[in-house]
Amino acid sequence: MGATHRARQAATVAAVLAAGLPMALACGSAVAADADAAREKAQLCAVCHGPEGNSTNPAVPSLAGQPAQFIATQLFQFREGNRKDPQMTPLAAGLSNADMNALAAYFSRQKPAAPARASDPAAVAAAQRLTEQYHCVQCHGAALAGQQHIPRLSGQQRDYLRAQLIGFKAGTRADMDGNMTSAAQALSEKDIELLADYLSGLDRP
Amino acid sequence: MLAVSLRSLRFVPPAGVGFAMLLLCGAAAAQQAPAAAPAPAAAPAQPWQQGRSAAQEESTLHPFAPHMTGRPAQELPINTLRVPPGFKVEVWVDGVPEARSLALGDKGTVFVSNRNGKNVYAVVDRGGKREVKTILKGLDAPNGITFSKGTLYVAERGRITRYDGIEGQLDTPPAAKVVIDNLDPNRQPGHFWKFLALGPDGKLYFNVGAPGNIVMPNYMQASIMRVDPGKGVLETVALGVRNSVGFDWNPKTKELWFTNHGRDWLGDDAPNDTLNRVSKRVPNFGYPFCHQGDILDPEYGKNRSCAEFTPPVLKLGAHIAPLGMRFYTGKMFPAEYQNNIFIAMHGSWNRNTKQGYNVTRVTFDADGTPTMRPFLTGFLTDAKADPPMWGRPVDLLVLHDGSMLVSDDYNGIIYRVSYAK
Repeated sequence: MGATHRARQAATVAAVLAAGLPMALACGSAVAADADAAREKAQLCAVCHGPEGNSTNPAVPSLAGQPAQFIATQLFQFREGNRKDPQMTPLAAGLSNADMNALAAYFSRQKPAAPARASDPAAVAAAQRLTEQYHCVQCHGAALAGQQHIPRLSGQQRDYLRAQLIGFKAGTRADMDGNMTSAAQALSEKDIELLADYLSGLDRP
Repeated sequence: MLAVSLRSLRFVPPAGVGFAMLLLCGAAAAQQAPAAAPAPAAAPAQPWQQGRSAAQEESTLHPFAPHMTGRPAQELPINTLRVPPGFKVEVWVDGVPEARSLALGDKGTVFVSNRNGKNVYAVVDRGGKREVKTILKGLDAPNGITFSKGTLYVAERGRITRYDGIEGQLDTPPAAKVVIDNLDPNRQPGHFWKFLALGPDGKLYFNVGAPGNIVMPNYMQASIMRVDPGKGVLETVALGVRNSVGFDWNPKTKELWFTNHGRDWLGDDAPNDTLNRVSKRVPNFGYPFCHQGDILDPEYGKNRSCAEFTPPVLKLGAHIAPLGMRFYTGKMFPAEYQNNIFIAMHGSWNRNTKQGYNVTRVTFDADGTPTMRPFLTGFLTDAKADPPMWGRPVDLLVLHDGSMLVSDDYNGIIYRVSYAK
C-alpha cells in the first residue's frame, strides 16, 4: 500500500480525533454498556479498520467477530506501551478500561465479511499442514476463529498476519504470555508467507 | 510503514522472554531425531508446555489469561457466590485491573499489585465510597507487596524496593529505594514473578520460582529466600519449592507456612499442590526429584528416594493452584476460625475436569491433623467448559475489623467476606 494512502488515512484519523474523541471521552465509563455510544466511538476505528471493523486494507486487521477479550487486551497493550504502533499508540492513550471494554464488545458482535482475497489454491494443502504441525488450532480453535484473549485468524488481512508473525519471531511483537513468540521461532520465511496467504483467504465458519 | 517495521524488526535483538525462548528452542531442537522429510521443526515448547509427553502434545489444555481491562461487577453473576451461614460476601471494589496481591496500610489503605500489568494500586475508603488510585506505574511484574511501619515493599521480577511514608502521599508517591537488586539477572523463563511477605524476624521473604514446568533449577531457583531490608544480604529459607505464591507465619509457633504448586502434565490427579511448613533450617521439599512428598518424578526421580525430602502438611488437590494463604487472627469470624488457614485457590487449567476456583478453609484437630473444606465458592461454573469460571481468587487480606478481602485477577475485583451473628 502506498505512502499517499497511508498519509491520507492518518489525516482522516487526525480529523476524526479532533472532532470525535473529546466527545467520546466525555461519555466516560457510564456508557460502557451503551451500544449506541460504542458504535459512535467505533466510527473512529472504522477509518482504518473498515466499516463495522471489516478492514479493506491488507496491513490493517479486521476487528469484526474477534473475541472481545482479545480486542480489549490489545487496546490495553497499546495504551501500556507494550505493543507499539504509530497510529494505535496515541489512540489507545486516551481510552479508559471501560472504553476498551465497550469497543471490544461492539466489534466482537459485528459480522465478519467474506475474505477479501482468495488463498493460492496450489498452496492450501501445504499451509493446512503447517497449521496442524505448529499446533495453531490448539489455541486459536479448530476453525481458527479465536477464543478468549486469542485472536480469530480466519479471513484476517494477509499483510497484517505476516507482519505479526515476523514480529513474534523477532521477539518484538507484544506477547503477554510468550506463547506466540515461542511458537514463531520455528517458522521459516516461507512458512510465514504460506500461513498468511492461507489464513487470509480462509472463509469464516 | 510495513517496510519500515520489517527493517526495524530485523535488527532488534530478541530480548527477555523471546531470548529465553530461543535458548529453550535450541535445546529442544537438538533432542529431536532428524526428520526423514524436509519438514519444518515442530514449534518449541513454552515453559507451561514443557514436560508434556508425546501424547499430550495435542492437548488443548491451556492457562487462562486475565481480562487486563477488568470487568465491571454489575456484568458478573456475583449473586452466585456462596459462603457458610452467618457470613456475607459482597463486592468491595471493582475496577482494579488484574488485582493480585493485597497489603494493608497502617491507616487502612489497601494496596493491590499486578503480575502481567505494571501497576500498584491503592484503594482508599472515602466515607464508604472506595477510590482506586494508580500509585506506581511501569514496574516489572510487581506481583509481591507487603506493608510494615509506614513502608510499602514491592517485589518486582528482579528487585525489591521500598516506598517509605507512601500512605501519607498517595498522590505524590516517594521514589523507590532499592532493598535488593539483580534477583533475576538472566531473565529466567517460567515462574519469574514473586510473592513477598515480612516475617516476624523483620526480614522480607520471597519465592524464586522454577524456570519452567519440570526442569533442573539453578542454585537460587525453586526456593524461598529472605533478605534483611537493612542489610541487603540474601539467605536461603527453603529449597525444592517449585513455585510458592503465598505464605504466612503461624501466629503461635512463628513458623513459616507456604503453599506450593506441583508440576503439570503428570495427569489429572497427580501430583497434588501442597501446604507446607518450614520447621528446620533450609528444608528441601523435593522439586524436581520428588513431588507431594511421595511421588518420584518420572525423569528427575530416577535413582532418588522421597525419603530425603520434607513432606507437605497437606495435599490440596492436583493443579488446584493455591495462591494466597493467611492464618486468620481477626476478631470478626466465630471463635472456631481463630488460627485457621484460608487459602485462595486460583483454579486448575492442567486438568480435564477443572477444580479449585474457591477460598478453602483449613482447620486442625487436637493432635494437629488438618482438614480442608470450601469456604467461598461459586466462581466455577462448568468444570468441563473453556473457560470453566467467571472469577479467580488470588490473595487474601484480613482487615482491621476482622473481615477478609479476596482479590480476583481475572476480573480486577476485590470481594469482602464478613460475619454477623
